[in-house]
Amino acid sequence: MTEHAASFPILTCMLLSPVVGLLILLFIKEECHCCIRAVSLVAAGISLGLAIYTFVAYDKSLGGLQFVEKYEWVKTFGISYFVGVEGLNAPMLLLTGIVIFTGVLTMWELTLRVKEFFIFMLALVTGVFGVFMTYDMFFFFLFYEIAVVPMYILILIWGSTRKEYAAMKLTLYLMAGSGLIIPGILMLYSASGLNTFNMVALHGVHFSPWIQKVAFILLFFGFGVLAALWPFHTWSPVGHVAAPTAVSMLHAGVLMKLGSFAILRVAMFLCPEGFQYWAQLMSLLATAGIVYGVFVGLAQTDLKYVIGYSSVSHMGIVILGLSTGTVDGLNGSVFQMFAHGIMTALFFSSVGYIYDRTHTRDIHQLGGFSKIMPVASAFFITAALCGAGVPGMASFWAELLVFIASVKVYPVQGMLAIAALVVGALFALRVVQSTFFNTPNPKFVHFEDVSPFLALPRMMLIATLLFFGFFPQTMVGLIKSAVVPFLQGM
Amino acid sequence: MMNVMLFGPELYYLGAALVFFFLSLRRQPQVKGDYQIALALAAGGLVVTTLCLCQHGELFFKAYRVDLFSQIFKFALALGLFLVLTISHNLAQIEERFHAEYYLFLTTTTIGMMMLVSSVELLTIYVSLELSSYSLYILVPLRKGDGIDVEAGIKYLLIGAVSSGVMLFGLSYIFGATHTTYLSEILPRLPQLVASPIGLLGLLLAMAGFFFKLSVFPFHFWAPDVYQGAANQVTTFIATASKAAAVALLLRLAAMGVGYGYSFTKALVILSVVSMTLGNLVAIIQKDLKRMLAYSSIAHAGYVLIGILTLQESGYIAAVYYAVAYLVMNFTVFMVISEVAKDGRDLQISELSGLWRRNPLLSLSLIVGLFALAGVPPSIGFTGKLLLFTSAMNQGYFWLVLIGAVNGTISLYYYLRVVYASYFTDDPSLPMVVVSTPTRILNYALIAIVLGFGVFPDRVVELAKLAVKSVL
Repeated sequence: MTEHAASFPILTCMLLSPVVGLLILLFIKEECHCCIRAVSLVAAGISLGLAIYTFVAYDKSLGGLQFVEKYEWVKTFGISYFVGVEGLNAPMLLLTGIVIFTGVLTMWELTLRVKEFFIFMLALVTGVFGVFMTYDMFFFFLFYEIAVVPMYILILIWGSTRKEYAAMKLTLYLMAGSGLIIPGILMLYSASGLNTFNMVALHGVHFSPWIQKVAFILLFFGFGVLAALWPFHTWSPVGHVAAPTAVSMLHAGVLMKLGSFAILRVAMFLCPEGFQYWAQLMSLLATAGIVYGVFVGLAQTDLKYVIGYSSVSHMGIVILGLSTGTVDGLNGSVFQMFAHGIMTALFFSSVGYIYDRTHTRDIHQLGGFSKIMPVASAFFITAALCGAGVPGMASFWAELLVFIASVKVYPVQGMLAIAALVVGALFALRVVQSTFFNTPNPKFVHFEDVSPFLALPRMMLIATLLFFGFFPQTMVGLIKSAVVPFLQGM
Repeated sequence: MMNVMLFGPELYYLGAALVFFFLSLRRQPQVKGDYQIALALAAGGLVVTTLCLCQHGELFFKAYRVDLFSQIFKFALALGLFLVLTISHNLAQIEERFHAEYYLFLTTTTIGMMMLVSSVELLTIYVSLELSSYSLYILVPLRKGDGIDVEAGIKYLLIGAVSSGVMLFGLSYIFGATHTTYLSEILPRLPQLVASPIGLLGLLLAMAGFFFKLSVFPFHFWAPDVYQGAANQVTTFIATASKAAAVALLLRLAAMGVGYGYSFTKALVILSVVSMTLGNLVAIIQKDLKRMLAYSSIAHAGYVLIGILTLQESGYIAAVYYAVAYLVMNFTVFMVISEVAKDGRDLQISELSGLWRRNPLLSLSLIVGLFALAGVPPSIGFTGKLLLFTSAMNQGYFWLVLIGAVNGTISLYYYLRVVYASYFTDDPSLPMVVVSTPTRILNYALIAIVLGFGVFPDRVVELAKLAVKSVL
């Protein structure tokens, strides 16, 4: 993989922007809500700006790793600070930037312990950015944990339904995953004999098949927990439901992608033979997740549970795409991570707005909500259409690519997944119908619709979905520039 | 003159002990004045140990070795003493007329530990170990109270005495088999020693003394009662400085043995696994915070053993790093305890409720300290644990690493319970906690150290590397 050093430390700035914001927040008075929000928004805005810049400025014809920064960190143990951008993580960085920026805007109305909320949220985002940009396994794991741990506090203080149970369950599940990741990572580190955590260097080592098989399965299950891989998904719907709006957005939108991205970046990248060996299992579990998520999710009456289970099924599509090990599959998979991230963020953002006012997410209670809040309902319906894979939305292309690839490689699983999605689309329309187009609940008639300012973050998300729906080539071309060499390297 | 510098830290603290001795003779105790003297002397001790950092040489017929390794641990001990004294400004649980004795015995136990990290001869080791232990035997029951202190004191004394007896018995076997008490002469004969039943038995028995200090299974029974029964400040000292000294000596033994091949690493693996698992599992059901930390210290002793049993340079570096890290992060938690329990009572986990409102800074320190103990990044606890696991994996201890990593998850559960109590429950009847300005500064400094050296561990690792090189 060719490396092109950065002339200006853009990635470090992207990473440090939330950290600096967080440090400033520590010294702002709790009462000054406006300053706190403003600082968070600026910090998130800088990250977003830089993420857009790297996305646009990445030179596809040049390829390889760009904007690279590399410093030795701990010489004795071969740890280095090594960040870079390629086609695989550029969309992820953009996704994180968009979701955090809109997340801060979505939480504009928060009044409870505002300062702490934004501090923990910025800490979480730092971790997410770090995971996506680093090529050193030590830092990868460090950032991975930084992204996971603040969730506990965020859910516990600002969450709702059964939050104590959800927070503890989520944390223990994810930490148990880390318990598998550590041995997996260290196994590769010590088996290489290079005394380095540098993933690009480790990629050049040919590990023995046995090591690859064991390490791959450890890493796959360890990271799979965060990607809501069936049957380790049970923390995820519960967690989504309990988390406050912006945290659900970040969590479903970005955090779960850390899991699938890590499977791609660490497990598949370093253990190609292990991947070949376990690919069948991957596709089976992914298909189980897709089917299970669709059917369980659409029997729910709580809107957040509906989204939570649909996330399980959509993440299944991501893993299915990865398991094919083909250009189309990986392309679709990465695109799906991006599209699903934006889509769920929109889902949670609109449900959060409705819940903040009505204090219910029950489908039957809401009834004909579109007559009361047409704009807020439109946001949800758009997301639902996107989830069902309607053409013109980013998800359409992503899912199409994955299905094309999976039907070729795993005909049975591929057909099952497509069938599940078709049934899912039917159900999704039913949910939309009974939530938004029944007789309106008189209790809620007095509520006002979304103000233009609060509509702004949701509009941004919709715009992103539409943009990549109509111009998928901007995304697919970029991803492809990395996927092709990635697969050749395997 | 040269020799004075070599023995500098010990002499300094001996002088300090004399000062406290004379202070203790006064009829009317002057609490405030004594405290200031103690703090000043401890701060001076930090300077002296820093000045003596680069000394190396041998003393007392080669029974006493001064090198970077021992000097770094002496500095860590001096730091531990100083930190414990900074939170001793209100010794509510110790009668005023005993305050000077409290300082005196803290100083003598520090001298004992300093000698321990430099000893390379069996009898010197034994004498130093007893010097540090006897002082602690007195410190534990100094607390005034309802008899729990006496129970703790007696338990500590009895288990300590038994393990000393066992250790002495083991040492006599080793002496009998090798006809020498110098480690440098014993270690070359280790292969034969380990091969013979008497030698192996002797070695394992001799380890008992250190395992007692480190509260490794099966010598851990004293820990919960002593942690709970002793005054908070004394517990802090036992939980931090005392552990560091034990790790230092174990490391020196292990380091001198490199190249002669220990064959009892299997025994160490078992002890490590049992200590980790037992400590973490029992900690889950504790309600008293200090008892919980006692069990967590048993678990942490298991983690440190991982580094020692690798018998590799990288493992020792990791163990040194972790020992120092453990000193700092454990102290952070204990500082919060002694600040919240101003009257020196035993703190129940439930009594922490609403700490984020009662004192946000302390609750932040608590959360940082606990997450560091649980090994959550970016903290020294995480980096230390990862370095330990890395070195173990390099030696092929896959299962040990897996068990250690799973244990990390288990431990997170009970640490999170404390975080939960302090952050998410609230009890309006509990009073606000006020801290003085020096304590605030201490809080900031500790948070900065725990997080800073977690992200930038290079300096500490390089220093640990030099230290380990000096004993290998």
